[in-house]
Amino acid sequence: MTRGFSSLSRWIVFFAVICLLIGFGPGSAPAAEKVIKIGTLFPLTGPVASAGQRCQAAVQTAVEIINNRHPGIKVPLAKQAGIMNGYKIVLVHADSQGKPDVGKAEAERLFNQEGVWAIIGSYNSSVSKPASLVAERMKRIFMCGASSSAALTKRNLNFFFRLAPTDETESIEFVDALQWMNKKKNARIKTIGVIYENTEFGKHAAEEAKKAAAHGGFRVVADVPFSPGATNLNSEVQTLKKSNPDAVFGAVLGADYSLWVRTMKQSNWLPKAALNYCSGYQDPVIMKQLGGDAEYFMGATAYSPQFAGLMPAVAQVEKIFKTKTGGVPFDGDSIQEAVAMLVLAQAIDKAGSLDPDKVAKTLHANTWESPLSLGGKVAFQKGGQNKLAKSILTQIQKNEYKRIYPEKMSDSTIVLPMRPWAKR
Amino acid sequence: MQRKFFNGTDAVWLAFLAALALAPLVPAFAANSFRMHVMILILLFAGMSQAWNIIGGYCGQVSFGHSVFFGIGAYGAGMAVVTYGGTPWPGVIIGMVLAAAVAVVISYPCFKLSGHYFAIATFAIVEIFNRGFLVWDWVGGALGLDYPLIEEGLANLMWHDSKTEYYYAALAIFIVTFGIVRWLEGHRFGYYMRAVREGQETAESLGVNSTAVKLAAMSLSAALAALCGAFFVQYNLRVDPPMVMSLDMSMKFVLITILGGSGTLAGPLLGAAVLIPLQEYTRAFWGGLGGGVDLIIFGLLIIIMVVKQPAGMIGILRSAGKFFSGKKSAERGGEAHVSS
Repeated sequence: MTRGFSSLSRWIVFFAVICLLIGFGPGSAPAAEKVIKIGTLFPLTGPVASAGQRCQAAVQTAVEIINNRHPGIKVPLAKQAGIMNGYKIVLVHADSQGKPDVGKAEAERLFNQEGVWAIIGSYNSSVSKPASLVAERMKRIFMCGASSSAALTKRNLNFFFRLAPTDETESIEFVDALQWMNKKKNARIKTIGVIYENTEFGKHAAEEAKKAAAHGGFRVVADVPFSPGATNLNSEVQTLKKSNPDAVFGAVLGADYSLWVRTMKQSNWLPKAALNYCSGYQDPVIMKQLGGDAEYFMGATAYSPQFAGLMPAVAQVEKIFKTKTGGVPFDGDSIQEAVAMLVLAQAIDKAGSLDPDKVAKTLHANTWESPLSLGGKVAFQKGGQNKLAKSILTQIQKNEYKRIYPEKMSDSTIVLPMRPWAKR
Repeated sequence: MQRKFFNGTDAVWLAFLAALALAPLVPAFAANSFRMHVMILILLFAGMSQAWNIIGGYCGQVSFGHSVFFGIGAYGAGMAVVTYGGTPWPGVIIGMVLAAAVAVVISYPCFKLSGHYFAIATFAIVEIFNRGFLVWDWVGGALGLDYPLIEEGLANLMWHDSKTEYYYAALAIFIVTFGIVRWLEGHRFGYYMRAVREGQETAESLGVNSTAVKLAAMSLSAALAALCGAFFVQYNLRVDPPMVMSLDMSMKFVLITILGGSGTLAGPLLGAAVLIPLQEYTRAFWGGLGGGVDLIIFGLLIIIMVVKQPAGMIGILRSAGKFFSGKKSAERGGEAHVSS
């Protein structure tokens, strides 16, 4: 046998194995009676992979509750096993890699090949947009837990539903909070800087921030975009430092958030107040990594373990969630994905049908019990936005997310201005 | 001696194209939208890589900047639909012309550099365009351009319910790019390109204006890359700078061509036919497991291929051909074979 033949044989075997894997590999769930397949589409790889993996675990947690009896858990559907007289939910997972084209292709594959009935996803607003259009064209439901771009629900789609508050509502909340700080805490905040990743999410957040600031009578003195996944934010922080705004609004995801905070420390600069959109701020893993440097930053938070008093039902659900995340608790984003799954299951159960049109109309027509939501209930307006979505302004104090605004929901006193780096 | 315009190999190609044209009519293909998606991507990326092959393979100028031209084409079609509310066709043409013009403008100074320095310069150009488009509000900035749900059909180059039309559109692009390169192979200009690749000084000493040849090759390559970019945006119904103008996308142009066999007509198709299904199927099967299992497997497979057959897929075919014809197999390893 010649050497070339030997090489060729190996190649043939190699490709045969690949073909076999393609033909008979894993993928779709086993066909069973009374099964509703739901697709999850999150960034399981890439810069925000850890957030995407937690979102996936949150949906798995919700499905575990829906499919089995959990008398001790006080959320809808926990006391029964399955929905619609015994239907079980089966999840089919996909990775969007945080890329719009991959997300769209995976949404198509989930619907056409895996035969999922609806999709829950996609964390990144830029992925949720094209992926939800796939669902809309196919007249299938797309439940969006955490994507915050306000533009998503301004498209007036019929099959798109979003649970989280938007950048628009969070910006208004931030400006209200600044006015409260000026009035009640004599903060004398007049100028604002905005730092944001140059993506769909960041750009939208910055636009809404500027709009809300102008409306609230604040002057925007620094507009600082950066490329996500940056290895260095020195020039961005120097730009902020030079403009020296009284408050900074940040739309900085994942590891970029750690880099931003640490670069501010290196530059020995802080504004009086730093307020963050749903971002690296509310990631408990990042807070832990930053340690003392995370202190006194603020942000909009839909959930943190310190909200237990406000949301007593979460504790039991969180126990299941922690078994899937190695002990990491829910955060404001991941809990929204669990809510998305639970609300969808309630709607299917109530509609008593697997006709997507009927279920979508049921979703629109009702107010849903949601003990995992800060507002306690979920209701959708035209375009699919949850009009009862709420978040609380928190501040990290002693490694905990303390509630500081609205005042009636607060549990701690705000530390203002932020304590300088040298005095920590 | 000039190559015959039509030979036995061309007959095989025509039979292959006929089979591709008939493929969607076979239920095994038509019934499966994911398989159609993979086929569309194979044709698109084969076309893209063939566009790159003109300057990178035949002319020997390794460019990592082709995602810029791809992006210009994507934005041309995208703006025609999203910004101006028209059909994409004028945008496709404008994008191609603009990409060719930009290619000439940025390549002229870069061609004064040679070898690695030229490649490094093209890297920088991608970053410049990426950052520029991210902050340029007229083209949508970081928000990108999202297509509205408009009427499907050839006029809007958009189809909602079926992938068959997209498949034929991708096949048309594939035929155009491969047809042009096939024509170049037998044309005087094709010989000039290969002469420049083999030795610029030698070519010039024989009267070839190497700068003009490289600029013409680059502009043709850029225009075809822009055509592929226009299709890409029509297929995905969204464009933003990281999607199209990125080093990641540039690397695909280069990787597919080199994997298939740089400087050969069949190389880009072979590269795309192996790389794209691997990428799509590994993601489909293992992507949902999380932790990048699919990407690890994909990367390992590429490493195995490159180590086992540096000449690319074309080298494997040659080995197979020699085996079946009873000749001794070609040596393994070493430099990639480049056909002329």
